Amino acid sequence: MAVPRFLDSLRGAATEAGGALLGRLQHVRLPGVGQSSAADDPETAARRWRAVTVLCSPEQVGAGADLPAPLAALGDRLDLRITPAPGDRGTELAARYRDRASDDDLRALRSALRAAKQLIEVGEVLRVDPAPHGVRKPTPQGAALEGATARAGGEGVL
Amino acid sequence: MRAATWTGVNEVSVETVPDPQILNDHDVILRVRRTTTCGSDLHLLGGYIPFMRAGDVLGHEFMGEVVEVGRGVRERKVGDRVVVNSFIACGHCWYCRQELYSLCDNGNPNPGITEALWGQSPGGCFGYSHAMGGWAGSHAEYIRVPYADVGAFVVPEGVSDERALFASDAVSTGWMGADLAGTKPGDVVAVWGAGGVGQMAARAAMLLGAERVYVIDRLPERLAQVREHVGAEVVDYSSTDVLAELREVTGGRGPDVCIEAVGMEAHSSGIQGAYDQVKQQLRLQTDRPSAVREAILACRKGGSVFVLGVFALMVDKFPLGAMMNKGLTVRGAQVHGQRYMPRILDHMARGELTTEHLATHVMPLEDAARGYQLFKDKADGCVRSVFVP
Repeated sequence: MAVPRFLDSLRGAATEAGGALLGRLQHVRLPGVGQSSAADDPETAARRWRAVTVLCSPEQVGAGADLPAPLAALGDRLDLRITPAPGDRGTELAARYRDRASDDDLRALRSALRAAKQLIEVGEVLRVDPAPHGVRKPTPQGAALEGATARAGGEGVL
Repeated sequence: MRAATWTGVNEVSVETVPDPQILNDHDVILRVRRTTTCGSDLHLLGGYIPFMRAGDVLGHEFMGEVVEVGRGVRERKVGDRVVVNSFIACGHCWYCRQELYSLCDNGNPNPGITEALWGQSPGGCFGYSHAMGGWAGSHAEYIRVPYADVGAFVVPEGVSDERALFASDAVSTGWMGADLAGTKPGDVVAVWGAGGVGQMAARAAMLLGAERVYVIDRLPERLAQVREHVGAEVVDYSSTDVLAELREVTGGRGPDVCIEAVGMEAHSSGIQGAYDQVKQQLRLQTDRPSAVREAILACRKGGSVFVLGVFALMVDKFPLGAMMNKGLTVRGAQVHGQRYMPRILDHMARGELTTEHLATHVMPLEDAARGYQLFKDKADGCVRSVFVP
């Protein structure tokens, strides 16, 4: 019984490591590795505006309680900047926290911006799960990928 | 339902998996009638794209019959016989409105992975790893198709399942390469790779007015298909110096348009092939780019190179000096198929585009493991394995 328990804990650690990997990239100081800021100090990086460009007019983004629900849910903690994008590309929707933001806060903001854009452009947020799949062999690589995938909606360069 | 899944490096199994369900208003569920292997699947199969989980359903090139529609679907209805593009695009974002569908902002629910790799996230792709969205693939009895009004096209009466199937990816990818490379009447076009995509790139170049088209490969059965079914000329790189041959047949200029349809596991002969293999196996480069290198060196001054083959990350010994000093335009893309599929289906209906010959091995879905083995080994003259669920 000790061996299966050890393997379970190993897989758990792999899942956590995979999930943490994308988050760790936010703090890697190599240009082009996929983090939001390569050269900023952490305080400056956390204070940067995070923006999506939405194919709509500024009025369609809304304001206050009329904002798309994922953004409205973050409430008064956010400053928002809503400006027309050049070249008929729509509207630049940018947000940042007024107070000090943790990694979890920033992950929530990235997800909220992406979801808000989808709600405005398409009318719904795309779901992939539950997707049909066969037997998931319990391997460390699979567990790490599961962890990374679970975090992927809230990570990236945004 | 039954489905063919990736279960480990170079392992495919057919398993019983849950049926797909409508999750978004713009979804349809399709009963798959035909689904085919694609050369880019081999990168997944071989572990070169390390974002697959055991149990993932493979397949991205398919057609079938609509059996269920979401409440937001307007154009498709139950009973429609449709072919679906391999890339998932919303149709509403700026990229989709520019007809750059594979760059859709909203088709990949896992953007953090691809943004980490490439700085931006393209759209999602069926059955093509969790980096491309984690979408279940088409080697199954049923598949969920998001944004169905945008990506599913009704097959005209008179076009067979076997012909329509390849509009999903091989033809639309090939057509895009020929079109976005700027092929125009009178051009000489060279295509690297005589698989399904390469053959269709050559055929598209001819339909776009190219005066002469050359396809480069080493496999006799594929070169024979090019001569017989595409009508292009061939260069066997195992017995011919490609650069010398292309210079000779173009009056010393080189082709106006060079289309690479090989990808990250390019085979090449001589010291270059050995060098790329060793570096890839040592993880000192992720991709083997020999066909891209040759295309850049072959192309005429001021010409155009289009990269259709799938690449993952980094390559070595990229001839940047030749690209810059010869004034080349180099472009690449995953398939913007929604842009081309209506036109392709028209050509198919008129008999100007035939694809049935690509389906060299048609078999039940239950034989998917054998089909992939034949396809990977290029055994028994296999160009494409097609599965009938």
